[in-house]
Amino acid sequence: MHKTHTFFYTMFRKIRHILSQPRVKVTYLFCMLAFFIAAYYFKPELTAAEPSAGQSVAAATTIADATPQPAHEAFKAFALFTDPKYTTMEKGCLLAILGIAILGLLYAYMLAKQVVKADQGTPRMQAVANAVREGANAYMAAQFRKIGILIVVITVILFFTTASSELAFKFGRSGAFLLGSIFSWLVGFVGMRLATTGNLRVAAAARNSYGEAMQLGYRTGTVTGMLTDGLGLLGGTLIFIVYGEQAYEALLGFGFGGTLLALFMRVGGGIYTKAADVGADLVGKIEKNIPEDDPRNAATIADNVGDNVGDCAGMAADIFESYEVTIVAAMILGMATFGHKGVIFPLLVRGIGVLGSIISTYTVKAGPNDTSDTALHSVHRGFWIGSIISVVGFFALGLAYLKFDPAVNFLKMTGLSPDQQAKLIAEYPYTLPGNLPFWANFGVVGLDLRPVWTCLIGVILAIVLNKITSYFTHTSHAPVKSLAKSCQTGHATNIIQGFAVGYESTVATVLVIAVAIFLSYICYIGTPPLFIAYGVAMTGIGMLTLTGNTISMDVFGPVADNANGIGEMGYDPEEMERNKPGSFKRARQILSDLDAVGNTTKAETKGIAIGSAVIAAVSLFASFIAVIAVGSEDKIHLMTTAQYIAEAGKLTVAHPMVFIGLLIGGSVPFLFSSMLIRAVGRAAFLIVKECRIQFRDADIWSGKKKPNYARVVDICTITAQKELIGPGFLAIFTPLMVGFLLGTQALGGFLAGMILTGQLLAVFMANAGGAWDNAKKMIEDGHYGGKGSEAHRAAVTGDTVGDPLKDTAGPAINPLIKVMNMVSLIALGLIMKYNLVEPKEVGGRAIGVVVAFVCIAAIWWAVWQSKRESPEMQEMEKDFGNS
Amino acid sequence: MSAYLYLSLIPEALVASMLPPEEFGNYLAVGSRKRTRGQALFFEVDAALLPKNYFPLDEISKRCVPHEDGTPRRSVYLSIYRALEHVPLAALKKLYLVTEDGKVLGLDAQSYETEPADELHLYQEFCPVHPRVVSKLNPTAFVKFITDQSQPVSVPRIVFCELVLRDLRTDPDNANVDDLPYTNLNHLRDCLKELKHKYSTPTKTVIRQMTHEVLFRTIRGGFFVGDQTGLKYYPLPSRDVLETTCYHWWRSALIAYGG
Repeated sequence: MHKTHTFFYTMFRKIRHILSQPRVKVTYLFCMLAFFIAAYYFKPELTAAEPSAGQSVAAATTIADATPQPAHEAFKAFALFTDPKYTTMEKGCLLAILGIAILGLLYAYMLAKQVVKADQGTPRMQAVANAVREGANAYMAAQFRKIGILIVVITVILFFTTASSELAFKFGRSGAFLLGSIFSWLVGFVGMRLATTGNLRVAAAARNSYGEAMQLGYRTGTVTGMLTDGLGLLGGTLIFIVYGEQAYEALLGFGFGGTLLALFMRVGGGIYTKAADVGADLVGKIEKNIPEDDPRNAATIADNVGDNVGDCAGMAADIFESYEVTIVAAMILGMATFGHKGVIFPLLVRGIGVLGSIISTYTVKAGPNDTSDTALHSVHRGFWIGSIISVVGFFALGLAYLKFDPAVNFLKMTGLSPDQQAKLIAEYPYTLPGNLPFWANFGVVGLDLRPVWTCLIGVILAIVLNKITSYFTHTSHAPVKSLAKSCQTGHATNIIQGFAVGYESTVATVLVIAVAIFLSYICYIGTPPLFIAYGVAMTGIGMLTLTGNTISMDVFGPVADNANGIGEMGYDPEEMERNKPGSFKRARQILSDLDAVGNTTKAETKGIAIGSAVIAAVSLFASFIAVIAVGSEDKIHLMTTAQYIAEAGKLTVAHPMVFIGLLIGGSVPFLFSSMLIRAVGRAAFLIVKECRIQFRDADIWSGKKKPNYARVVDICTITAQKELIGPGFLAIFTPLMVGFLLGTQALGGFLAGMILTGQLLAVFMANAGGAWDNAKKMIEDGHYGGKGSEAHRAAVTGDTVGDPLKDTAGPAINPLIKVMNMVSLIALGLIMKYNLVEPKEVGGRAIGVVVAFVCIAAIWWAVWQSKRESPEMQEMEKDFGNS
Repeated sequence: MSAYLYLSLIPEALVASMLPPEEFGNYLAVGSRKRTRGQALFFEVDAALLPKNYFPLDEISKRCVPHEDGTPRRSVYLSIYRALEHVPLAALKKLYLVTEDGKVLGLDAQSYETEPADELHLYQEFCPVHPRVVSKLNPTAFVKFITDQSQPVSVPRIVFCELVLRDLRTDPDNANVDDLPYTNLNHLRDCLKELKHKYSTPTKTVIRQMTHEVLFRTIRGGFFVGDQTGLKYYPLPSRDVLETTCYHWWRSALIAYGG
């Protein structure tokens, strides 16, 4: 008896002790809260299914509900080849698109061979390049091990959660997800491998000629660009050829795979690159006053590795997923609006874009004695040539292909009464091809050039976003000049001014994107919202037409930066001057000029990446409404116009659930950014400590002994991998949590809020960081006291603050926006069935609550994990002691 | 291992060392544990030309010997304070400029051609005192003026350099000063204006004491050491030479902070 009493008493004390711990207390309170919410909702569910609060009776009895839902059709592979609806020309075109995709890949292969064959410089240069390559490969291998498992798990989950019972669709969605992930990883991996090959060749070529070095650097980037073009087009086209009009789920899977991988590559690469950069700068430039890329600095190699894994692999995967997602959105919406022509047209446009990129990137050249201005001019000329080829191609294609039967209306009016049909036709007069105004058909009855006009809007949008980014981040314009000037009065004024410039730039970018969407709307005025969404999707297609050029410009940045580092560490000034007087100075000047050109082109492309994310997200939003409208993703191709209109009308901020979702969605990019920025700060702290220890070795300091570069590379790799999963979880589980807990309307609000603040924050961070960076460069060029002055100190502070914003958190928001959209779309079928607010299945509330709380636990773990130091890191810090 | 003799200017001291100039410069700048950093300037001194009765030169052979583990003795301080005035100009060999992270550049003395005297000058004095002054005098006249023992304010011998003023040299009233790296540029402009329009004496102090390290890139011409008997000029190499032959020193010099 006494023993039993003692046992219970001990147990009671233990439980009381556990409950008294703050973390457990919060968990307990959450569980209790969950229990009460669940209890509240279970009760009405046991009685009867009734319209939930917020769902108006009127909305519940719209014409949409009167529409019968046809059953899912059986799958037939390659059905379009036997479908009489598709003309021989269309079938030929689809095969031609496959051919163009392969041509793009062959072009990339040809350029890669040219780069690999080029001169590799001296053994000393090769040693530096090898260290960078090994570090980059080690990082990619570690990342692959980490996320490979996750990708397999998600593939399996997607297979079992596909709504359709047909095996082909299950395989389609999960297989396409795997394919999208592999393509995305391949683009990043191959691009990075080639960048770490090209950097050495550029440094070697700079000893002979400006033009040779510039061309090699640009072509190294073009390989990645064409790989993106080729694989993106190949994936989308293959899926459509196999699945035809039933490609919705496979396309979503393909887009999700690419996007998720891009998120991981962006997050990991961003943390790596800035941790190494900030760490190297803090200990090298600020503490020890040694130049950038000084071989004595143990963080130098990690810094160069970071340029590749962040700016090259991360950015390439990011643009690849934008490329994928825009084509996925356009194909899905194309099928729902213009039918199969609406699907084939974006693929053909992409094909023209690939051809335009092949021709225009090959024209980018420079002479042996050119300067950064002429080189930049050549890069821009290439972009213009590509744009002109594309636009002319779009119109030619539109004139030849976009011809419809003037009497057949695009509206899908199955199940509507003649009165309702007449009302709908009167409301949307421009859904009849025979009714179009002159600008839309140039007087040719049946012709519809509206998709071409929206593509043109996209091309112009890309150019304008380039210009805006350039205006806010380039040294020749007022914003950066104002920042440099503000450095004269100290660190704080520089930071304050940088915030102002960043905020202003985000407004300008939003306005331009809003104008582009408005113009797309004008193009499709007199049509239902779904057509407008297709117009927006085609704007995205137009915007990323010249992806080959865009990525060439972007990857050129890290390649030139690395080449400069190899020149700094690998050139032998005495020997070069002995062999050819003046050659060392000339080669250094060439590399420095190329670095400057690369910085400019890299900054310009960021605007396109962010803009494309918003455009893609807006068009995916239409797919989201479409799925809710028809009740299941496998019926989307059967949706009627009336269904879509009825569902779109329910998403209003007057509805509390939508507003709650809006608030939560708006906050997610901030939490995500906080996790990434914290990760950079923590990794940089460890790197500084490591470098301080190594600097104390007299032999390292005097340059007699090589520092242990691998140690800093390891720190960056470990930290980047550790921080990878948390933000990934946040991106995947937050929309699920909102959906399963608060229902589909809250999820709609969530997506809207997230797109808006995500876009604003991403542009702010990218442009403020870019402006701080270039303000520093402006001062280093001799303005306001030049290098070493007080103004320079203030500029360096601004640049260091801006680094994790512009290269880690800001760019990672692009894939975040799209991952959340994709997750919402993919899980929407389940969310509609199982959620706490308005489930369509009996017992849906219970399942919704359980899933929502699993998601909350996962998000909680992610946030906790982002604040926690791993045992490896604690060990490292212990080793460092008080250094 | 033979001993070298160095005249350090920051701080003023005569030091014997077993390290050759490049290694000694590195040691002066960053120390032996590499935890410190700081710009340094020093002359290599010809011991044979030093006065026998002032410095304890016999200490060199006694104290400047290798450590027990065989490593060379880095520094043996023979004299601090008023060392420069007791080292004749003829005994000064090369001048070494050391950047904050220990990169060393040796300068040889050359003849100096006096410039026209109608422009204003900014001088940074290094030894024995450290003010920054503006002056109407060219370097030759400035040395004569400042080492004139008959004046109440004078030093027996001086080491200094001229710093760039760009357009302020000729037009302190209107020239743009934004691109000069010095702290408190408005005060500098006021001093130059006062010197040009009001001041009766040929020099005016801008900063009483060196509070920042001197940016080597702001040096105009080179360094001067002189007294009433003569002037030695140590010009910096041309920009071309700095960017090629002396690349590592120059790059290191460019990233230092100062004012």
